[in-house]
Amino acid sequence: MAGPLAPTRTPEQTEEELGDLDRPWVTIVWNDPVNLMTYVTFVLQDLFGYDEPTATALMLQVHHEGKAIVSSGPRERMEHDTSRLHAYGLWASFQRDT
Amino acid sequence: MKPFRSSRGGDIVARLEPAEASIVGLLLDQLEQLLAADADDVGDDPVLVRLIPDGHRGDPELAADYRKLTEASLRSGKAEDLATVRATLPDGGGEVRLDSDQAAAWLRSTNDLRLALGTRLDIGEDTEPPEEITGEEDQQLAVYYWLTALQGSLVDALVAGRAARS
Repeated sequence: MAGPLAPTRTPEQTEEELGDLDRPWVTIVWNDPVNLMTYVTFVLQDLFGYDEPTATALMLQVHHEGKAIVSSGPRERMEHDTSRLHAYGLWASFQRDT
Repeated sequence: MKPFRSSRGGDIVARLEPAEASIVGLLLDQLEQLLAADADDVGDDPVLVRLIPDGHRGDPELAADYRKLTEASLRSGKAEDLATVRATLPDGGGEVRLDSDQAAAWLRSTNDLRLALGTRLDIGEDTEPPEEITGEEDQQLAVYYWLTALQGSLVDALVAGRAARS
């Protein structure tokens, strides 16, 4: 039924693009065998202002599951968060949330 | 070594034996040389890859952008931390007394030293301290675990100091 005024994009495409814009970026901390558990908890509290139970839960998730998302938001901020974690020697990276 | 603890005045204090202070000094020298080396010469060095890692996994373009944006400040931050540790490390051993900024520099630098040694020694989750020192690698492993105890006490002292302030 598409007449001349019909949108050139299908609704599916539009939704997908909007979803893409909405989907935030995340910063991930990966497990490594060197960083002390107490150190990782301390750094997460210090850099992100998490209370002790939250920081401990994230640290344990890193330890047991191999990684944890520690922050989310626009790409630029995730790059910044990754660099702050790298300054403390945590094994971090940023990526689009999946 | 007398491990780090939080003093009543708010400083973080430890005491190092002469041999311990000189080992820390040597390790700082090695790390400084590695960080100052031409990137082309040491691009694949696993220690540098660990200390200055990729920011993005799987997308070389994003990783390269990130590196361009952050590598210089990451390197200079590490160099400043090293200089702070060196300036507060007692020659010939003795008391280490740190304010909170200096303590943060020690925290990051001792972690970098552990990451460097741990990467060279291929430390894994189940690596154990050596029972007896029979060779060069045992010695380095012993140094690694000594640094772990030192840094662990620094974390504990900072956590205790934070709890006392709140």
